[in-house]
Order: sequence, then C-alpha cells, then structure tokens
Amino acid sequence: MGNQVARFLARRSLQALPLLFVISVLVFLLIHAAPGGPLAIYLANPNVRPEDIERLRRALGLDRPLWVQYWSWLTAFARGDWGYSFSDGRPVIARIAERLPATLELAAVSLAGALLVTLPAGVAAGVRRGRWVDRATSALATAGISLPAFWFGLVLQIVFATGLGWLPSSGRSTPGADDFGDHVSHLVLPALVLIVVQAAAWSRYLRGSVIDTLAEPFVAAARARGIPRRQVLVRHVLRNAIGPVLAVVMVDAALLVSGAVVTESVFAWPGIGSLFTEALARRDYTVLMALLMLTSTAIVVLNLVADLAHALVDPRVALT
Amino acid sequence: MEREGVSRALRSALAFGATIIVALSACSRRSAAVPPSNDLLIIGYDREPDTLNRFSTHILEDIQTCIIEGLTTTDEAMRVVPLLAQDVPTIDNRGVKLRADGGMDVIWRLRPDIKWHDGQPFTSADVKFTVDAINSPNYNPESTDGFDRITSVDTPDPLTAVVHYKEIYAPYDIQFIRGTLPKHILEGRDIDRAQDYNRSPLGTGPYRVAEWKAGEYILLERVPHYWRGDDVPRIKKLLFRFVANTNTRINQLKSGEVHVVALVPWDKYREIAAMTTMVVHKTPGNAYEHVTLNERQFPPFADVRIRRALIQAIDRELYVKTILDGLAPVTHGAIQPVSWAYTDQVTKYAFDPGKSRALLDAAGWTPGADGIRAHDGKRLAFTLITQAGFAIRENIAQAIQRQLRDIGVDVKVELHDGTAISALWFEGKFEAMLHWWQMPSDPELTTFFAADRTPPAGRNINYYRNDELTKLLYASDRTVDRAERTRLLQAAQRMLADDVPEIPLYSVTRLDAVPASLQHFKGNPTNTGIFWNVDEWEIR
Repeated sequence: MGNQVARFLARRSLQALPLLFVISVLVFLLIHAAPGGPLAIYLANPNVRPEDIERLRRALGLDRPLWVQYWSWLTAFARGDWGYSFSDGRPVIARIAERLPATLELAAVSLAGALLVTLPAGVAAGVRRGRWVDRATSALATAGISLPAFWFGLVLQIVFATGLGWLPSSGRSTPGADDFGDHVSHLVLPALVLIVVQAAAWSRYLRGSVIDTLAEPFVAAARARGIPRRQVLVRHVLRNAIGPVLAVVMVDAALLVSGAVVTESVFAWPGIGSLFTEALARRDYTVLMALLMLTSTAIVVLNLVADLAHALVDPRVALT
Repeated sequence: MEREGVSRALRSALAFGATIIVALSACSRRSAAVPPSNDLLIIGYDREPDTLNRFSTHILEDIQTCIIEGLTTTDEAMRVVPLLAQDVPTIDNRGVKLRADGGMDVIWRLRPDIKWHDGQPFTSADVKFTVDAINSPNYNPESTDGFDRITSVDTPDPLTAVVHYKEIYAPYDIQFIRGTLPKHILEGRDIDRAQDYNRSPLGTGPYRVAEWKAGEYILLERVPHYWRGDDVPRIKKLLFRFVANTNTRINQLKSGEVHVVALVPWDKYREIAAMTTMVVHKTPGNAYEHVTLNERQFPPFADVRIRRALIQAIDRELYVKTILDGLAPVTHGAIQPVSWAYTDQVTKYAFDPGKSRALLDAAGWTPGADGIRAHDGKRLAFTLITQAGFAIRENIAQAIQRQLRDIGVDVKVELHDGTAISALWFEGKFEAMLHWWQMPSDPELTTFFAADRTPPAGRNINYYRNDELTKLLYASDRTVDRAERTRLLQAAQRMLADDVPEIPLYSVTRLDAVPASLQHFKGNPTNTGIFWNVDEWEIR
C-alpha cells in the first residue's frame, strides 16, 4: 500500500508540473491583458508627470517585451525568488508570509465548523428524507447557498457589532488587548459566514449521496445481517457516501486556503484574500502571479489529497 | 436504532451551535468599542499605505504627515505656511532671488533646534541630501517634479539651504512639503529597499510608528520631546485601522470601534450626520468633477458651438440638488474657490436646452429620423466612459445621457474599473470621460490645457488647442510674482470659460467624520490631508 501511495504521488506530481506551467502562462497573459498596469494608480496624483511614469516603467522593467518579462519572472520563480511587490517594494514572499497565518486560521476554523454542521445535517436529511428534519435543513441550506457572502457579512456586523455590541465588526485583533478571547471574538463573524456558506452547499451534496447509498443492495444486506442501524449508518452508508463530498470539500478548502476574497474584505481580515483584492486593484503583477500560482498549486495538491482520502475510506477506489 | 443515529447527529449539530453561542457570549461585554480619548484616537482608513516614505508613496499622505514634517505645509484654506522653515521664502523677504541667467535661487532658513526622533539635529545638509537622493538615478520616488529643475543646493550654515533652480519654478514654496530624508540614516543606501526607514520613518513630527501590523493597522505613538513643547501633541496614540470596505467602515463608526473616518462618501452623509456623537466636517475641496471632451477621438468636439450646446443642455444645479444632496457646489472652471488664483468673474452657463438646439442647428447638425442630429452623414453620437462602482458617477452619467438625448445627442455610457480608466485616459483612448482631477495645491493649469501638453507630455486629454491660452499659461509658470501670476491665471480662467474645452460640473467637497468631542480639527483640501495640524487636536 505504502509503495503504491508513493508511486501514485510521484506520478501525479509529475503530471502537475506541465499543468502549472500552462496555468502560469495563461495567468501571466491574463493579468497583463487587464487594462491599466501597476503605474495607473500613480496617475491620480497631479504632481506625477508623464515623465515620472516613464521613469518608473523603466525602473520596474515594464518597458521590456512581454515574453522577456515572463521569462525573467519564471526563471526567478522557479529558483524560489518571487520578486518584489510593485506596490510597496517589499519581497513578495514576505508579504504573503505575513498574511498566511490569518487565512490559514480562518480556513481551518471554518472548514472544521462547516464539517461539524455538514456531517450530522447531511446524514439526518438523507436518512429522514421528506421528514421535518429534511425540510428544515433543506430550507436552511437553500437560504445559506443563496446568501451573498458580502451581504450576510454586513448584516452580521449590523446585528452583532453595531446593534448588540457583542463582537468586533472587523479586523483580527484589538491593539493592546491581544489575548485569546479578543482573538476568538474577531474570528466569530467571518468564520460564521464561511461556515454557513460552505455547510449549506456541502450538506446538500451529502444528503444526495446518502440517499443514493441507502438504496444500494449492500445496505439492505447489512441490515438483513442484523448489524445495528447506527453501525450501518456510520460504517456502511457514511463511508460510501462521503467520497464524492470529499472532492467538493477539498476544492473549497483549496479556495479557502488561498483566501476567502469577499469575506476577508468585508471583515478587513488581514489574510491572503484581502491581499489579493488589494493587489488586483493596484495591478501588483508580482504579488498577483505568486498568489494565483499558490491557489493553483493548492487546488492541485488538495485534489490529490481528496483522491487519496477517497481511496482510504473506500477500498474499492484504486489509486491510479 | 436509526432514530438513535439521527438524534446523535442532531445532538452534535446542537452542540456545535451551542459552542458558537458560548463563544459569542464569552466575548460579549468585551465589546471592541472604546470612546475617543486623549489616550487613543482610532481612525478607520480605507487602505493600507504602500510605504511611509512620503516621496515614494502613491496614496494620500495622512499617516506620513503625523511623522514627517515639510519645510512648509498647506493649511485648511490651502495657504502655504511655514513648518520646519522659519518663513516661506518670497521675493519680498529676499528668500527668492531671480538670476540674470533666467534661473532662480531659493533661500530656506530652517527653524533652529529641530531634532530628528533619534536626537540628531535636523540641518540644511538633510535638505541637500534629499534633493541629491531624488535626482539620483538610484532612487525611484513617485515624482521628481521641481527637483529635476534644481541644479544644486548650497549649505552655507546648518540652518540655511540655498536651492539653485535652472529656471523659474513657480511652485517652489511647496517643493519640500513632503519633508526631507534624514541624511545620517539613508546616505549611501538603496532607499527603495530601505525597509527600516520605509516602514518606520525617522521624522521630526509629533508621532512615530509604534507598530505596523500588516493588513490590520498602524499604531502611532507620540514622541516624548516634540519641538513645539512637551505637552504637545495631546493625544497619546493614533491607531489607523485598515478597513477597505466602505460599508464596514461606516458600521465601525456606528459601533464606536473607530472614531474618525476621512473622505466619507456623500451618499453616507445623512446616516453619519444623524449621529449625535459625530460631526461631519465639510471642507471645500480642490478637486472638480467634469466631462472631458476628447477632440482627437471625436472631432465634432473641436467646434466651440457644439461644446457650448452640450454645457447648456446639462442641468448642473439639478444634479447638485438631487444626486449630490446639495453637498457639492456647481463649478465653472478648473481652479476651485479654495485657490488664491480663483475668480468667479467668468462666463457661466445656465441650463437652457433651447439655446443648445439653436447652436446645434447653426452648426449644421440637424435631427435625423431617430431624433439624433447628424451632419455630413456623421451622427452626433459618442461614448462617455466613467468609473464603475461609484454610484454618484453612474447616476450623473445617466442623467447626462438623458438630457443630451433631449437635444438630439446620442450618448452611450461605459463603465470601467478605476485602474482601467487611468490607463484609458493616459492613452487618450476615449471620446468623453466623466471624472475628477485632484488639482495641485499650486494652481498650475499648463499641464491640463496647454496645446503641447497632450499625453504623454501632460494631462491635456481634451486634446484642446488654443495657442493664445498656451502662451498665457506658460507665462504664468515663469513668474514668481504672485500678483502677476494671479492676473495671468484669471485671464486664463476667463478664456477657458468662454471656450468650454470641457464641461465642469461640481467642486468636490471633502467630508470627514470626527468625534463631536474633538477640538481644533480644521480639515485640509489637499493631499496633505486632515492630519496636518494633528499636534493641536484634543478630545474634550
């Protein structure tokens, strides 16, 4: 098994490299095709003259042909040199590293929270199909899926921060009161938004998957053998039903890890998502390239993890 | 049995819900709101600065102003006042000398006993170092405007810097408004990468950086022995929280988590003005919203009759009363009332679509079957671009579209994001554009209207050509005699109002929300920002 896993990992990683290369070319072309460049933002200042723009363009190397710019980015990136941010002149890697903990924290808490809601809610709805549990969770899930994250976030702020004054409306810490409680209180609202949005979608998938699995002959067989219902549910049904859901969870996880763009912006959460929004508005090419490559890599890696996990919970799935 | 499995599942769901509620209530009563006090004032800021180096940054300099002081600054009425200089050099006080070779010398007398935050004396050597650094090819500041006309700086003594210009440079008095770079810290270094300075600059101002938490906030603390006195500034700490989302920023203001929000959007004015704990200051601004008419892309704009027809078909007073809620006054030109060069003795166009139709008829543009005017087979139809996601602009663009349709002009409105729109104007690739210019605090018009200052040589994106005006504008740049400059600039304003190269709409009013308990807040219409007199602020 171990050997098989190693071979599987090696093969899939080799397949991922050309894919990431193609993605990098596409992403590079796309962000350079977007109108305006890193210098456009300077034009708002009346004291910045066109000759200043030309001087800065040369200094940033933006006057070189596009393929030269791409090649020098690629060779440096491959060596681990991610370059300097066009907007603040600091190393890209430092800018990402300082934002990563906030994003990972938010992603971990909301993934865990969403799974804790999804598992019972999805299974209950599937098993008690058509009953009130199902109808109630369905209604909630539909609401959760339809809620735009930015609107839901603002409503939570108005209720819990402006109205009740229980929780801070945004940010990650209160300067000077940076203890654990303060930390948790900042985390609650953004995590709640992500939990609701994710759990709503996932529980629908899980419900469908549970219903399909319940109809399988092996479930009836297990019951016929007198295996306790709960054991059937967990060992036979859930184990089979969870596979397809895992794939969805992993893709969502990859997106969360690369920054919940909308939620982070609404809650001024200092993570990768708000860095991305900022870099996009300023056309900070080096930061954008690094973030988009990270996202692509995260998706590739977590897809791999999903396949591995699927194979582990369901022995019928082969690692190919 | 099945029931048991389900109820277990339900129970864990309930348990999770309970955890959240426990978390919520654990945090309740530890509300993030603290009232503003002389210990701490919290500012909700719309973006994180790129750098605190005032010469490198390309966003507003609010935070920098608290740390780094210029030789001069601009006050609430946009007057240039001395800060680290003893006075503003002029010809009258013999601080400015015109040389026979056409150049000029500016003699800056520095205030004595000023120290950098590390205790080193601030001297004329720092002034000279700053000029040399900015003119060096090894440093990339945002703008080298003015500095590139300086040939050298002499430092006859530590408190005197003589700046030699190769030609007359009218805005010399704000040359060092962004302060100076400390020679003893930055000499011989790569300033673009000097992160110690760029993240926590050494200044002479009332505050210094205590902490910069990336993506979250910058905390400033007062310096112990500020040169204006040990009891200044009164407010011990200033906390700038970065909150990019406007709605969130306003929510924070309402919950008391932030105390100050600069540049409040006009459509949020009523909401905040209703709060008894807040005051919304209105400062007449130095920016003006207008419609640029690009004569190169849409040649009919080159006919002054068309331009006069357009301006009279647009009911600017109505827009101000309705869309702008009366917060910004109609303007008639590029120089705003806040500027010393402003004159209101110019042609003003009232709303009169009848006159517009007559002008278009006279110019040979007659309505076709669809009601749109045409001339020699060309329809009077153009595209108006403006910024997406800026509700007021979108509304005004639609109102213009509607009103011009009434006189037989077809306007298509196109929305672009802010960055894209800058690129479009820089390349001159648009027909008409609704936008504003933030004007420099020195009332220079040359870059906006001189015939030879079309991009990339300047900002004449009307591609407007008026040789008489061009001569007048260049003459206004080549004098430092205030009375003479005023005369030339006012003549230029009259000429522009007659010729209508663009359609001025309204003068932008700055709205800043501050606590009602904040004393001595004055506001500022320029890029210097509202913190220029922060050393006087006090909560009472």
